[in-house]
Amino acid sequence: MKTRFFALSLFLLISASVFAQSAKKYGKEITLKDKTKISSILDKPEDFVGKKVLVEGLIVNVCENRGCWMELAGDKPYTKIKIKVKDGEIVFPMTEKGKKALVEGEVYKITWTKEERMEAAKEEAEEKGTKPDFTGLTDSTWYQIKGLGAKINE
Amino acid sequence: MSIFSSWRKWNRLLHRDLGYIAFGLTVIYAVSGFAVNHISDWNPNFNIENISGTFSPDLIPAGASDSAIAAILLPQIGEKEPLTSSFRPSPEEIQLFVEGNTISANLVTGEVEQKKVQKRWFLHVFNYLHLNHAKEMWTYVADLYAVVLVFLAISGLFMIKGPKGILGRGAWLTALGILLPLIFIFLYY
Repeated sequence: MKTRFFALSLFLLISASVFAQSAKKYGKEITLKDKTKISSILDKPEDFVGKKVLVEGLIVNVCENRGCWMELAGDKPYTKIKIKVKDGEIVFPMTEKGKKALVEGEVYKITWTKEERMEAAKEEAEEKGTKPDFTGLTDSTWYQIKGLGAKINE
Repeated sequence: MSIFSSWRKWNRLLHRDLGYIAFGLTVIYAVSGFAVNHISDWNPNFNIENISGTFSPDLIPAGASDSAIAAILLPQIGEKEPLTSSFRPSPEEIQLFVEGNTISANLVTGEVEQKKVQKRWFLHVFNYLHLNHAKEMWTYVADLYAVVLVFLAISGLFMIKGPKGILGRGAWLTALGILLPLIFIFLYY
């Protein structure tokens, strides 16, 4: 019995090491070959709405609660773009901040009214336990990428 | 030996051995379930520590590179890990990334915010498996485990004969166990 137990344990360990991943993959396999510069998307976002893109950048922020979004630094100074994924489908760990990521996803547009933004700021403040900041909130449109698959360099 | 008593014997035998095999997975799923059940109250995967402080921005020469800024700033806040990467959200702000810590500094006001992140080791691994972030082969292991759980639940009903079995007290307790989720579905769904 002991011999069989150790043989089975050994088999499971060897199998696990064979299937172990060297690079961290999230979500679906990346299919696109050509990368799009984040600056190209930010410069003319309407040209990319609804299109699938492959972007690369430094992870500068990750959702603290559920890992359901991350922000990638752009190739031009002081720019970044948000990658949003479906809750639970892909979870970006907070420990990945500061690492380079390759992400495939679809560019989409979000339009919010001032009231909707105030409501979101209120919810965010409640989550963080701070006071909501409504200064400068107006009707606005911005662009994000719906993340489908990602690779993060170790 | 009748077919009935032979069936009972196999039921007990399989319940016992599959129960042993399921022990480890059940503990993982139960502990992780408890942890993620309270996700609105805490982060079940990471321990996050926010530290606010200041540094002397006068020490940073104009036009200094990110690594030069890091070389001055990191010792001032007692950070010993080497810089892995950096980002400038604006001309006045810098984000420095070191292993397990993100340092956000305002180069004009000297305000510094540190966000130290540490994995909750056992929970992180348990949640990783429970929420199937591993995907790949683990999906099938988890499926198999679910089938085993259903088997353990059904076979458990027939472990004992007599007044304490499924035709006696067991029937009432089983009904209670089914009624409990039904009440909550009726109340909240």
